[in-house]
Amino acid sequence: MSSASSTPPPADTIAPTKSSRTGLYAVVAIIVIVVIILAAGYAAGWFKAASKSGGTKGACTPPGSVPLLGAGSSFVDPLMVNWESVYTQSSVNYQEPGSGAGIAQISAKTIDYGASDAPLTAAQAANASGLLTIPETAGAVSIIYNLPGVNARLQISGPVLAQIYQGSITAWNDPAITSINPNITAMPSNAIVVVHRSDGSGTSYAFTDFLSKSSASWASGPGKSTLPAWPTGLGEHGSSGVANTVGTTPYAVGYVDLTYALNQGISFAQVQNPAGQYVVPNLRDAALAVAAGDMALPTGGASWSNVSLINEPGAGTYPVATFSYMLVYKDLSGAYGSTYTLQKAENLVDWLNWTVTYGQSYSSTNYYVTLPAGVVTADQQTIDSMTYNGASISICTLQN
Amino acid sequence: MPDATPPPDGRRGPNRALGNPFSSFVNFPGLFVRGLRRLPKDIWRSRFRTLDGLFHIGTAAGGGVLVALFLTEIFFLTQKSWPTITGYGFGFILGTVWNPNPPAPVFGAWPYIVGTLLTSAIAMLLAVPLSLGIAVFLSEEAPSWLRVPLSSLVELLVAVPSVVYGLWGIFVLEPIMRTTIEPDLHMSLGRIPGLGGVFPTPSAGGDVLTASVVLAIMVVPTIAAISRESMRAVPDSQREAVLSLGATRWETTRLGVIPYARSGIIGACILGLGRALGETMAVTMTIGNSNHVPSSLFMPGQTLASAIANEFNNSFSPLERSALIEAGLVLLGITLLVNLVARMLVRGLVGSGSGAAGE
Repeated sequence: MSSASSTPPPADTIAPTKSSRTGLYAVVAIIVIVVIILAAGYAAGWFKAASKSGGTKGACTPPGSVPLLGAGSSFVDPLMVNWESVYTQSSVNYQEPGSGAGIAQISAKTIDYGASDAPLTAAQAANASGLLTIPETAGAVSIIYNLPGVNARLQISGPVLAQIYQGSITAWNDPAITSINPNITAMPSNAIVVVHRSDGSGTSYAFTDFLSKSSASWASGPGKSTLPAWPTGLGEHGSSGVANTVGTTPYAVGYVDLTYALNQGISFAQVQNPAGQYVVPNLRDAALAVAAGDMALPTGGASWSNVSLINEPGAGTYPVATFSYMLVYKDLSGAYGSTYTLQKAENLVDWLNWTVTYGQSYSSTNYYVTLPAGVVTADQQTIDSMTYNGASISICTLQN
Repeated sequence: MPDATPPPDGRRGPNRALGNPFSSFVNFPGLFVRGLRRLPKDIWRSRFRTLDGLFHIGTAAGGGVLVALFLTEIFFLTQKSWPTITGYGFGFILGTVWNPNPPAPVFGAWPYIVGTLLTSAIAMLLAVPLSLGIAVFLSEEAPSWLRVPLSSLVELLVAVPSVVYGLWGIFVLEPIMRTTIEPDLHMSLGRIPGLGGVFPTPSAGGDVLTASVVLAIMVVPTIAAISRESMRAVPDSQREAVLSLGATRWETTRLGVIPYARSGIIGACILGLGRALGETMAVTMTIGNSNHVPSSLFMPGQTLASAIANEFNNSFSPLERSALIEAGLVLLGITLLVNLVARMLVRGLVGSGSGAAGE
């Protein structure tokens, strides 16, 4: 290399040019990458952070903006995602590892609020004392199925579902199924592919609650749980996993929140209610369940473990409905310690207040039930009872 | 490289610490013991002030960190799973019922252990012949214009994240398994007396066989890439020598290349097996996640890793958490045991004389 400057044979001059050109390419590539990252960052709003803080709207001074962290139910995730996008007061980050994880994480105090479709059990409540239960929406659990060649809507009942999920009914043309489906003349003889959740899930809780109330042998066997010991079937991760598997596997049956069934265009069954009617899950009928079930709700700090919207009375009521709950600590400074700022507490209260009031207007477009006024009032009383350093947290919530 | 002649005490011979680099990964305790044995006794007296000595201490410290990490991991797993280790004993390993729900939680990991061993075994059965074929083709047969792009492709595939393989498994492989491969297996192999129970009428795509095939596809690039490397490392003089005796291409590969690359190839297979045993995401997405011992290859199952992935987020009770951590400990134990058995097999296979590139 040292002789390259003095002697100019072509073999020697090629090497330096090549290497300098490689360097040039590298610099150009780095510049291009940086520009792309900055452009993407601009599109994602990295450079607008400052414009959001401060400012008053009307006579009301909103709290500052501290990011909030929530986690839990995938049942309620579509609604949470919509809420996050329209709620401007502070940035809310919701993750959906399942209701079980939501309860575990709020118990470990790693998040600001948990979301679960299953109420806290006595053991869970003892594990994390001081948690408030705030129902923020409700929805229907749909029984989804995949029957190629069958056009009429399947009708199903709780006892039959319990037998399918226990493995004692294995074929679609079992007399127990055909006898309640007079509209389906040619029921296939194929084996039923039973699909359930493999992770801890509030949807599983509502579904097994329904099975337990329909079948004595299910109640004394697997029972109601976010993660029961399934006697048979295929486990899939998350609501979307179950919906995808049932949607793509012929002769499968499963259960998901109605939103997933409607969004993915999967057939769902009419389910027999206690009045003997076969009811299609829809918002109106699930709302009937909520209205019938909200008569005697406990207070926010009491045990909700017996609250259930399963098999509510009424001729048109859909039998498999569930509340979805947010779980927060009543005494925020006491639960999280002194690192939890008052501003964050105000932000949390503002967010909770917004979801049960203004947030309800986004329920029906996402196929959830708008909470009745009685439940909203009870929720607001629960939220008002939250404290920071012993004092109540005063905020005024804006519509955005 | 004969191991029988130890270098003089305190002097490092040229052959020290050489050997098969891949076996070093998988037989860590053995390496450590060997390293200790080879540590010069007068290191502090004669070499401390020299750069060479510093280098030696520095690298030894690096190895020490690895040992510390490994021991810490074992300690942590044992400590955190102590409640179930003492509470369930061997029932944890041999029990077939896993039900964390109150009032009487039971933890039997046998279905998960069976799932882990079964999927890995089938995956290796499918992957090893295929990867060796790829490796031989890339190293011996492929024309050079094809060799370079194909080799980089194989190396690229090693780096594909497992969740991508999982997605491919769900959306591409599962329908094919359900509609074509499993019915065909049922109609062909299932008709052999005694195998009807292994290949019954298939129902859904998410099952033990699908997960095994995904695992096989995942470990093929690993095994192929490393085997190819160790075949390329065989000097050309070997090939020329065998060719000059009038051997064919196949005979050259069989007699001149494979014996010399054998320990590297086996190391590659052990690495692939390790990846198959511990793989979590792709298996969780395709195995069907059922807590029962699979009665056939077309039944859903669960591996230790996928059980942890599925349930850890949901574990509220300390006992359930302890059980899942013990499942992790069992997985670690299985991995070590399988490696140990594989090493012993290698000793038996390679022996002391036949494998020239062996230890």
